[in-house]
Amino acid sequence: MTHATTAPAEPQVPAGRRSRTPGWKLVQRALQYLLMVLLALFCVAPFAWVVLTAVDADGGPSVTVPTLTLDNFVSFFTDGGTPRLLLNSIIVSFSATALNLACGVFGAYGLSRYKFRGRTAFMFAILLIRVIPPPATIVALYLLMVKMHLDDGYIGLILVEAAAALPITLWLLKGTIDAVPFELEEAAWLDGNTRFGAIRRVVLPLVGPGLGAAAMLTFMAVWGDFLTPLVLLQSPDLYPLSIGLFRSFTAFNQVDWGVLAASAVVYMAPPAVLYLFLRRHLMRSSLGGALKG
Amino acid sequence: MTAAKAPGRLGPRWRERGALSLLLGPSVLLIAVFVIAPACYGLYLSFTDTQLTGWAARDPQFVGLENFRHLLGSEDFLASLGRTGQFVFWSAIVGQTVLGMLAALLLRAKWLRGKGLFGALVLLPMVVPEVVASLTWASVLSSDDSGTLNRLLALFGSGAAAPLQDSPMLSVIIINVWRGIALAMIMFQAALEDVPDELIEASRMDGANAFQVFRYVTLPLIRGPVFLYLLLTTITTVGVFGLVYFLTQGGPGQDTELTSIYIFQRAFQYSQIGMGSAASVILLVLLMVLGLTYARLAKVKV
Repeated sequence: MTHATTAPAEPQVPAGRRSRTPGWKLVQRALQYLLMVLLALFCVAPFAWVVLTAVDADGGPSVTVPTLTLDNFVSFFTDGGTPRLLLNSIIVSFSATALNLACGVFGAYGLSRYKFRGRTAFMFAILLIRVIPPPATIVALYLLMVKMHLDDGYIGLILVEAAAALPITLWLLKGTIDAVPFELEEAAWLDGNTRFGAIRRVVLPLVGPGLGAAAMLTFMAVWGDFLTPLVLLQSPDLYPLSIGLFRSFTAFNQVDWGVLAASAVVYMAPPAVLYLFLRRHLMRSSLGGALKG
Repeated sequence: MTAAKAPGRLGPRWRERGALSLLLGPSVLLIAVFVIAPACYGLYLSFTDTQLTGWAARDPQFVGLENFRHLLGSEDFLASLGRTGQFVFWSAIVGQTVLGMLAALLLRAKWLRGKGLFGALVLLPMVVPEVVASLTWASVLSSDDSGTLNRLLALFGSGAAAPLQDSPMLSVIIINVWRGIALAMIMFQAALEDVPDELIEASRMDGANAFQVFRYVTLPLIRGPVFLYLLLTTITTVGVFGLVYFLTQGGPGQDTELTSIYIFQRAFQYSQIGMGSAASVILLVLLMVLGLTYARLAKVKV
């Protein structure tokens, strides 16, 4: 998909400029281009195998010129276990994102519009939670989920994933709602709307971009998560793509490399496409803002 | 819902309270049950000899600091901490920061063409799920003659290598650098935008070379964001699990057994939940000390 690096390989200095640019500067620029190309290659080259093997009729664990075919994708979507993996990933990611946003919008609204004691402390507390690395709490989380009979099921995984992404969503949406003038809401109340009616008709339409960014960050975090489903799920029926890929990769002897690579392409396509389309928007506003807190 | 019905009037205080708890309640509940409770429960577990299976699982005992005493005297655990330190230092603090800064500086050069494509390509490793990231590197580092790296080595007339077996730690460090360049680039790029061009041009006029400009003009101006990045990347790198576990499962031997993997294996392979929790607590304390150090460094020098 993206293995075709087309970054210019050599400096293209306009003829008119050449006379004004001193020699050492040209060398410097050539070096910078070289550096850029090398960095780009370093970032993209590892994807060569996945992309080439996914369309290869007899792919192995290494890079070869593919005998072009789409059979791997066909068998991914029709074979026994793999469509189930995709379906599980979709169910969990979409439900967790929906739950996360539903809680996040109202929670952020409360945090933005109500002044109450401990509000700032709460905001910082949920930010501090992010400092705890997931592997540090996964053990206790597992035991707790077993005690609540929420292990090895969709519901438990969805609740955990939605909760894990909530701090970021709350921060992001609180900032967005802060920017909506309160007067607009008051005007809506005067027009006979209830408080929740005003949220729905006035606030929600105005926080679209923030909502989209929060949805995307949550979706990608859940979609890509490996540790939580690895620990919480035991039934192969429930495995999402991340665990499915891991299981078939570690079953070294009978692994079908072509299908494995095709699964990887299917698995990485949604986040990659989302990111590349919304990159500019994300890099500027939300991601930077969310990270800077 | 009663509180919501009369929003215009300034109702009694409890009405506001009611609406607020209705709004914030679900979020607080979710975070409390699935994020805070496990953290507190983990702290409790670290003082017990809880087992996942076996006869001891039925009746866990409070053992005080026994787990901590055992871990701090255990070579395996200390070695895993050392590996995590190595991993964080070389991949996050050195690799990602240097390459991310280079990428951000490149993106700042006005005459450079193809910056958009370059930015997109650098983002790709960060965007894909960690399992796919590991899988791609499994083929690059394949010990097979036709692995991507070995093909490259063959071009230079060098023999085939098996990096995941011969230098596993270096391999996973490089993989984590690869995955993290993008975040460093984004954060540094945003920081560099606040550095005025005139300042840099002025120092160039005064005869400073590119490195001196960076060292004495640019870097002091972006010290805050740089330390913030170091803090963030240290936290996330200590938490790296899947990227390494997928490829090596801590092996060969214990060569890539980071503390995160040590915790996982203690708890789920040796079923020593209490011991795994104690290891988590130690890791968290170390992380907190490190975080406070960064915060202090950033504040003192800015």
